Amino acid sequence: MRRVAQIVVVIVGSTLFVSLLLQLLPVGLEELYVFALDEAGRQQQIRLLHLDANPVMFYLYWLGDFVRGDFGSYVYPTGVLDPVAPRLGAALPISLRLVVYVQIVALAISIPLGIFTAYRSGRRSDKVISYGLFTAASIPNFVFALLLASFFGVSLAWFPPLGYTAPGENFVEHLRSMAMPVMALAIPTVATYTRLLRTDVIATLREDYVTMAASKGLSNRRILFTHVLRPSSVTLFTSAALNMGALIGGTLVIEQIFSIPGLGSEIGLAIFSRQYFALQSYVAIIAIGYVVFNGIVDVAVGFVDPRSRERTNA
Amino acid sequence: MRSLFAQMNLLSKLSSVWMALMTALAIFGWLIPLPNPREYDPEASAAGLFTPGHILGTDAGGYDLLSNVVNGARISLMIAFISVGLGGLVGSVIGILAAYRRGRLDYFVSTGFNILLSIPNLVLGLALVAVLATSSDASVPIAPSRRVIIIIIALTVVIIPILGRIARGATLTWINREFVVAARSMGMRDKDIIVRHIVPNVLPAIYSVLFLAIGVVIVAEGALSLLGVGVVDGVSWGAMIARVAGEFTYAPQSMYVPVVVVALTVIACNQLGDFLRGRLDLREGKI
Repeated sequence: MRRVAQIVVVIVGSTLFVSLLLQLLPVGLEELYVFALDEAGRQQQIRLLHLDANPVMFYLYWLGDFVRGDFGSYVYPTGVLDPVAPRLGAALPISLRLVVYVQIVALAISIPLGIFTAYRSGRRSDKVISYGLFTAASIPNFVFALLLASFFGVSLAWFPPLGYTAPGENFVEHLRSMAMPVMALAIPTVATYTRLLRTDVIATLREDYVTMAASKGLSNRRILFTHVLRPSSVTLFTSAALNMGALIGGTLVIEQIFSIPGLGSEIGLAIFSRQYFALQSYVAIIAIGYVVFNGIVDVAVGFVDPRSRERTNA
Repeated sequence: MRSLFAQMNLLSKLSSVWMALMTALAIFGWLIPLPNPREYDPEASAAGLFTPGHILGTDAGGYDLLSNVVNGARISLMIAFISVGLGGLVGSVIGILAAYRRGRLDYFVSTGFNILLSIPNLVLGLALVAVLATSSDASVPIAPSRRVIIIIIALTVVIIPILGRIARGATLTWINREFVVAARSMGMRDKDIIVRHIVPNVLPAIYSVLFLAIGVVIVAEGALSLLGVGVVDGVSWGAMIARVAGEFTYAPQSMYVPVVVVALTVIACNQLGDFLRGRLDLREGKI
């Protein structure tokens, strides 16, 4: 219960923070969004957008609309309001798809790699891989994106360098259009995950019950995958979940490079066309999603590793 | 005690040499006779490496890449050092005070950190820059120098909770140690306890994260530029990357220079941060 309260406090705090950001605009909101020429029209638009409210009421109006599924609108000089919700409905699934693909690819590669490097800990193959991974973890994802795009996209032309194909339209083309963005985000992620898992597996391998299992004559593979992996994977899965935030940040940039019409492109468009009501809702959605997701992970970790549950309850 | 440099392994030595070189370029680079970074050469567009007059070649717009790397180092490293220095200072002071005082102050500070950390750091930086860099006339962008200041402010806000949380955590592990309790029971003033006993012990943890933070900020500067809110039409590494990213289908070869420089710098920062953390673990282990 305390944790739920904490999550609510953080959500209210972060959305309030983003709402107050609009008050920091060096240009008045009225100047940006009120275009009517006659006084009556101006007053009507000001009331419609709640620009006459004080910062707290302005936030509460926004929050009221937000929980009802009205995420604000693009405001055009003609006075036309273009609601954000349908744009979000189109863009968000694309970004989520990208993040999920990245997590699947990253975990699928890093789990065997982490176990392998831990098992070979201290030997040359482990050292070479570990140094390589450290370097790869440091390289920014947009660097990988640009290198992949120029090599596989332009020089070899294996994958389309720009653009996105919906899965319903042509699934093979969809995977091809996502291949490079996913790789660009997955390479540094694999490096980070493998390093984490390696450390934990090395620690677990020193436990008495592992020696016990080995002395019972169980095969190495059986020991590694049934006795070692589960207790060692808690840190990995926790940080994989925490990494969602970094990945969402990363997708914004990667989408921009590969022209993928996800949340990143929508945010870029909102900033470029100075639609700050839309920006407010986009940032709020990212923050809420991130906080709620982390809360769920906290609980889930308790199921995977009962030891941590006892610690937090105590 | 051997000097810090002598204790390093080969990679850390190379990293510190690279960082020293980049810092020297940032400070003294304007003394090197190079083409103007903002002036395009109409006869050499997308030139390769070792083209006469353009040692590292030019991008698709004909801008000299070496000159942009050298002059871009000034802005990019300035943004990184100032925002990490400022954010680290403010974050550490708040974090240490909150952990030392505990109680309501600590609750507010940690909730504040959690709120800022709940927005992914690139998104937070992006929102701050976008809002603060709005000009009253959409067709007239704000001046590059003001943009740099806004980026520094935004990235400082991003860094404060990251380092603040680490300072707070490190302080919490020290405040109940015997020597701190002893100092308090002897009637030492809080201010002196913090300055004499807490800060010297918390600093090593902060140093190692400072390098990682510099890497984070250099990446963020590049990412902001790619998203169109970086040092637009200025001379910085991020601006270079944004330019080559827009042109990579025509001039993929001119991409390698800025991309490699940024990657090497971030790797070097992480390597040095890792080295300092390793030393810290060693020291802790001896206690």
